[in-house]
Amino acid sequence: MADTTGTNQASSTKILIAQVLLAVALVAFWELVGRKFGYSWTSLPSLIAVRIVEWIGTDLAHHVTVTLSEIFIGLTIGGTSGILLGLVLGRSIVLGTVFRPIIVGFYSVPIITLAPLFILWFGLDLAPKIVLVTVSAFFLLFFNTFSGVRAIDRDLILSMRIMGASSGEEFRKVIAPGAMTWIISGVKIALPYAFAAAVTGELLASRDGLGSLLAKAAAQFDMTGLYSALVVLMVMGIVTSAIAVGVERWMLRWRNATG
Amino acid sequence: MPRGDTMLENRPKPTPVSAANTGGAMVRMQDVAKDFSVRGKETRALQPINLTVNRREFVSLVGPSGCGKSTALNLVAGLLTPTSGQVFYDGQLVQGLNERVGYITQKDTLLPWRTAADNIAVPLELRCRNESRKVIRERVAEMIELVGLRGFDKHYPGELSGGMRKRVALARTLIYEPETLLMDEPFGALDAQLKLLMHDQLQRLTQQRKMTVMFVTHDLAEAIALSDRVVVFSARPGRIRAEREIPLDRPRDVFKVRFADTFSRLHEELWNELKDEVVKGTDV
Repeated sequence: MADTTGTNQASSTKILIAQVLLAVALVAFWELVGRKFGYSWTSLPSLIAVRIVEWIGTDLAHHVTVTLSEIFIGLTIGGTSGILLGLVLGRSIVLGTVFRPIIVGFYSVPIITLAPLFILWFGLDLAPKIVLVTVSAFFLLFFNTFSGVRAIDRDLILSMRIMGASSGEEFRKVIAPGAMTWIISGVKIALPYAFAAAVTGELLASRDGLGSLLAKAAAQFDMTGLYSALVVLMVMGIVTSAIAVGVERWMLRWRNATG
Repeated sequence: MPRGDTMLENRPKPTPVSAANTGGAMVRMQDVAKDFSVRGKETRALQPINLTVNRREFVSLVGPSGCGKSTALNLVAGLLTPTSGQVFYDGQLVQGLNERVGYITQKDTLLPWRTAADNIAVPLELRCRNESRKVIRERVAEMIELVGLRGFDKHYPGELSGGMRKRVALARTLIYEPETLLMDEPFGALDAQLKLLMHDQLQRLTQQRKMTVMFVTHDLAEAIALSDRVVVFSARPGRIRAEREIPLDRPRDVFKVRFADTFSRLHEELWNELKDEVVKGTDV
């Protein structure tokens, strides 16, 4: 075992080096081609870097905070309610049969298309974006939790009942941890959707947040500003999903054991 | 299987064996038959059988595959309801899950997200037993020792072999000392030496704790070595073909008992009963 782990580590270091080299090469190619053939439509990595540094000196932190808090609040409200409803409907055959198709019906409306409605209802501040994120997160976590509860091996539940578990204990010791795999993967799936929902809301109507930076830059044909906002969004996406993967690894460490 | 939540709420909680509860029938199956319908086709798994297991008795059920031995255990556990006839447990009709038995099913039902030690601890964590953390920790450690899993207590079920998982499941049931044990081929996946060690422990524990046991196995020698009575089932649809008392003294030396004359005589007798059924069972 030790041997294979050793070689795995060596090869993963090599892969990382190759990936970094490739990224550097792509950025260099972008810079060189831009300098040679003009960069009015593509900007330049060097200009973007300068702009981001400039933003960091002014109000980037404010915009990032706005977007992240929309995502965080929306995920918390929407995720929690989705999980709770998924647990309830997953547990009850009758309620599940009655309500799930209705929820599927609502979900068939593309959520982003609700943005204008929410803006009319809730104004230009954080509220409509939070609602948009909430709705996206709600559906994704509802469906995942519901499937998770339904996928639990019935024999596990029966064996707990024979041991004398009350229905509360059955829930705490089998249903909740059993559905956890699905809930965590639901959160992982919901993160990029939450990002998209928040930024789309900001794009349509906002004074704050990364979407508003993006919209402002686009309106002024400020290519460098546009790319800079995209780069910041990309970095935020990578960081949050890396955190989510780390949390998943830790919470589902028992699963890494399964071959 | 209906989701019998409401039905279960009204069931009495497990009660400890009192001194008055000695002797008499613990399990009584009266003209019990069971049919299964598979895609609209009715199949009879168990012909009407009559079987009584007395308090503190160790009864083994042997027979060819698919003869309804496991069905019989499921009926006693209340996981299945008989198509006809009645199952009584301690004088009461079995309706809904029977929480007074400990059931070691063929398939292990360990919780994959708990380590071996935490799986074994589950029954003691339940409110109906209400043990302190300290007691749980000590008893789990004893149990791990007993089933020979020292050093594997922090492993998750996914990291254990089939035989080890089986022993974790066994420990999880033995730890709460249910008054009746239903065991469905609990030692099938173990090697011969370990099997003997487990026989020894099981005999000690069931004698000490005055348990009633229904034990399903393919292994006739195992059945004779452990049991007070061996019941031979016919090939599907199962019925009882033969029953023999095992008049070997207790406590038995499970390592040597199979060299006794009585043992070989019983083995031959029972094997003659079983042989035809196994042949029939394989033809089908």
